[in-house]
Amino acid sequence: MKLSLDWIRDYVELPEDTDLKKLAYDLTMDTVEVEDVEYLARRFDGMVVGVINEVQPHPNADKLRVCKVDLGAEGEKEIVCGGINLEAGMRVAVAVPGAMVRWHGEGEPVEIKKSKLRGVESYGMICASDEIGLGDLFPSAQEAEILDLSALDCAAGTPLADALDMNDVLLEIDNKSMTNRPDLWGHYGIAREIAALYDLPLKKIEPYVPEASSDFKVEILDPERCARYIGVQIEGVEVKASDYKMQSRIWKVGMRPINALVDITNYVMLATGNPTHAFDADNISDHIVVRRAAADEKLLLLNGKELELCDDDLVITDSEGPVALAGVMGGAKDSILPKTQRVILEVANFESTGIRRTALRYDNRTEASARYEKAIDPERCDQALALSMQFFKELYPGLEVTGYCDLFPTKLKRAEIDLSLEWLERRLGKHLENDQIRRLLERLGFDVQINGDDLHVTAPTWRSTGDISIKDDVMEEVARMYGYDNFEATPFTTSFSAAINQKDQDLLRAIKEYLAIRCDMQEVYTYPWMNDRYVNAVLQSTEGVLSLSTPPAPDLSYIRSSLLPNLCEAVSKNERYSKEFSIFEEAQVFFDRNYSSPYDPTEALPEQRRHIAAAMAGAADSVERLFRELKGALEYMPRYTHMEGFSFRKEEKPVWADDVVWLNVFLGDERIGDLGLLNKKVSMDCEIRNLAVMLFELDVTRLKPLRSRTNRFTHLAEYPETDYDISMLFDSSSAWTDMEAAAMEGGELIKRVSFVDEYHGKQIPEGKKSVTLRLTIGSKEKTLTSQEIEEAAGRVMKKLGKKLGAELRAQ
Amino acid sequence: MNEKIKAIMEEVRSRIGSAGSEAELQNVKSSFVGKQGSLSLLMKDLPQLEVSLRAEAGKLLNQAKNQITELIENKRMELKLKASEVSPDFDCSVPGLAPRSKGGLHPITQMCYDLNDAFRSMGFEIFQEDDITSELYAFDKLNFPQNHPARESMDTYWLEGHDSGKTCEKLCLRPHLTGGSVRYMQTHKPPFRFVYPGRVYRNETTDAHHERAFFQYEALIVDKDITFTSGKVMIGSILSKVFGTDVPVRMRSGFFPFVEPGFEIDMQCQVCGGKGCSVCKHVGWIEVMPGGSPHPNVLRAAGLDPDEYTGFYVNIGLDRLVMMRYGVDDVRLFHSADLRFLEQFR
Repeated sequence: MKLSLDWIRDYVELPEDTDLKKLAYDLTMDTVEVEDVEYLARRFDGMVVGVINEVQPHPNADKLRVCKVDLGAEGEKEIVCGGINLEAGMRVAVAVPGAMVRWHGEGEPVEIKKSKLRGVESYGMICASDEIGLGDLFPSAQEAEILDLSALDCAAGTPLADALDMNDVLLEIDNKSMTNRPDLWGHYGIAREIAALYDLPLKKIEPYVPEASSDFKVEILDPERCARYIGVQIEGVEVKASDYKMQSRIWKVGMRPINALVDITNYVMLATGNPTHAFDADNISDHIVVRRAAADEKLLLLNGKELELCDDDLVITDSEGPVALAGVMGGAKDSILPKTQRVILEVANFESTGIRRTALRYDNRTEASARYEKAIDPERCDQALALSMQFFKELYPGLEVTGYCDLFPTKLKRAEIDLSLEWLERRLGKHLENDQIRRLLERLGFDVQINGDDLHVTAPTWRSTGDISIKDDVMEEVARMYGYDNFEATPFTTSFSAAINQKDQDLLRAIKEYLAIRCDMQEVYTYPWMNDRYVNAVLQSTEGVLSLSTPPAPDLSYIRSSLLPNLCEAVSKNERYSKEFSIFEEAQVFFDRNYSSPYDPTEALPEQRRHIAAAMAGAADSVERLFRELKGALEYMPRYTHMEGFSFRKEEKPVWADDVVWLNVFLGDERIGDLGLLNKKVSMDCEIRNLAVMLFELDVTRLKPLRSRTNRFTHLAEYPETDYDISMLFDSSSAWTDMEAAAMEGGELIKRVSFVDEYHGKQIPEGKKSVTLRLTIGSKEKTLTSQEIEEAAGRVMKKLGKKLGAELRAQ
Repeated sequence: MNEKIKAIMEEVRSRIGSAGSEAELQNVKSSFVGKQGSLSLLMKDLPQLEVSLRAEAGKLLNQAKNQITELIENKRMELKLKASEVSPDFDCSVPGLAPRSKGGLHPITQMCYDLNDAFRSMGFEIFQEDDITSELYAFDKLNFPQNHPARESMDTYWLEGHDSGKTCEKLCLRPHLTGGSVRYMQTHKPPFRFVYPGRVYRNETTDAHHERAFFQYEALIVDKDITFTSGKVMIGSILSKVFGTDVPVRMRSGFFPFVEPGFEIDMQCQVCGGKGCSVCKHVGWIEVMPGGSPHPNVLRAAGLDPDEYTGFYVNIGLDRLVMMRYGVDDVRLFHSADLRFLEQFR
């Protein structure tokens, strides 16, 4: 919302030397956020009023003229101009060379330069209204029409801002910051707040004294939705322009002046925050009735929209039917027309939520509905009425009030709140004297009674529409009037009972740090919704997958039940830039099942789990290495992050996995995840072109952190241990786990057996593979001789031969 | 004899002094104490000396021999230590090798852990909740009026097929964390203090400053006599942790349905130091978080008596903080999974 400082000054006596930066700061700190303070005159820097002395044709151009223009102190200058309405004696707006002009009042300032136009030197430029952002205030009748300022009584050379009375300051207030303060919508409301903050006198708007009662009649059939309705019938008006002050103020705060009848209603709304409306009285049959619409009624709005009403809509009607959508917009039938001579002025109060429902229902939010939605106090009608009548009389001195009716069926009760001074002091963290509390609240219009420790507060009507309702609201008023900056920070007291011990949190962090730092993986974040392409490719079914009713895009409606689709998408996106990389993500997944809630028996939340998944991508021929690295990351995870260990088995192949390269991960008997190679088809469907992708996904919710570190210290070997490598030929299908088990049966001197490598190649017969095992051989009793070591290794080879048919590789 | 030995020793010293290699030293050794060396020859002459002089001369010769051996040994050690294994042209300006690990945590995770550490040290627990919540917890329990615009589908991601008309069954991706805080308050006994990091979702058009999914960090303390002025300490802790220095902070009036009083909390612009620049729109302050005391209705919804308990809450946007920490200018990069971006924060 934009506010004019001149306008605010109509209602509060702000000292001339008020520091506007400070005013903006104080309003921001204590009341509403002032987003910008604009010195309006700066839009017209370098522009002056010129008087055209002579208009000559341009020697080289039919459409251009050469004007001799009196610029006051700068003397007479020649300016080339293409305006169609140039005449000697005319006052015009001139942007002179060197002036920095913000075209249309926007953007970066541009310097006006002397220049030649078709061979003739031009000293600056004679402006049209829309070239300098004044198009709405001085609409031009046709194109290339120069702004004619002849009506202004000012000398040549007068700065344009002075001539147009633009030495005002505009405050831009963030609407969001005052959604809860309907009393602030309008210049009067902000003036009232400034008066309270600075303890300045606020000017009263003297109430209108009715001049006619007659038999003018209004009926309210729904007093809950219409708390008050004032109708005033005025004769002897006509459609004409309002005065410049009214026009320019309406323009300054961002609306368009139209004609005097419309301008008065808009001006009053901008001043008081209470919308008003004027009907053409000749178009109203019989009298006005405020009621709910009937379900079959229709209404053609001013903007041409034809509505089929429903019985939740409040309408203003005459004997023929609805003439206006109450608080939202007038109907086409009752509009002010060029021949209007009698009007009915409506100053009314409508209930906020009903107005909001209607405006939303027809997608027809207006300046009026935006204000009524905030809950306006019905007392404000008095100010709106008084101001309206004042302007009607100023603009139409000959008018006659022929009808007046003020129905006020639903009075607003002022909010009353009781609190104790002890409570207030405890919550403020600071002692304030009773008198100080009283004064701060009274400045805001509250009535205050203090009785011992009891504080009884009555809010003013304009704060009683919901804004002030509990004692915390009163505390806030005291605190902000005292100034939040004036409260010192108070450290909170600590009472430590026990050290915080959150095993689950610590485990999750340990796993992420383990993957990032030890396993060389980069953490990524992706969205919870999945692209259909990746859902189809990776999950291959949407059974049990939840979806959004208003997704970010039509193909992003499913929300994840697995992290893998989005990880595959991330691999595909990164393939362009990198040939080998590893990524992981930790996030929630959702399942359309097991609806319940531990917090509220009625709440039905779906099953939600936390997963961690990783993708390791590399060259197509590195499958074996990728597999061992990713499997290693899982195998060592429990050991490094201190949780119960997993085992690996083949039980059920994940749909996305290669036929051979996959494992299920188990914790005890529970399957907690999968590991495997993304199969060729899925890879292609995911648009992963060349890379082999190894994946795992684990359900973190099922992991079991250890109570403490549980691995035991083992004594260092007293006698040396020796590594002894043996390479043997096995059947291609032999499993390492069987080899390891067999080798360990080679006697108690065999301390460990580890995998060195596996070889398939030219020298190896078909159907066989060569595997190199490393035996760690040692004794608890003595240092072994080389013969004893050889013998131990020999026993292992024998075992391998017997159990698995292994043969020593021919040298 | 004495004279001869002296002369030899002089020659020995000068030749050792000028020797630059092991081979030269070997040479020196053989020409003085070798079989045909000059000192050895003198030794052979010893028997021809007068008996009375023989003992004295033998002693001198032996001393000289030991001395030569020692000098040579010293010089040998000296040469050995002086020798460099590498060429004098070794280029020390060649860049170092990067650590082999190329992994890293997401910059938002890093920020979150930094804050967790700071709050843990002040006795705060870490709380985690589910992403999908119900309208009951997202709005009803937070004192949002029935007709609040945030409830509309244009602002919140509602789940398909979960609108039975009851708010306890109407589901959405959580639009903020505060509803989850009510869950914590319901299930714990006050006084308590906790932080609650998490991702939230808003149905809006994205651009460099707006995202549909972003991270919040909520901190809440509830006790019998917490005042809003204690909040200043909480806010200061967050910002000094993030920026490594005390950042001036101001609290100003702000309205949110779930707090009373409510604040907008601004920090001094760290780009211009408060003087005003384009980043802070020339006001010197940047809005970083809302805060306030939980509204009595929110405390009641969590089963607490607002006459007995009060508290202070702040909710900070992690994305925004990370953007300020590193100068990131597009919030959408955080969910891009683009390694060229993420690799910069290892």
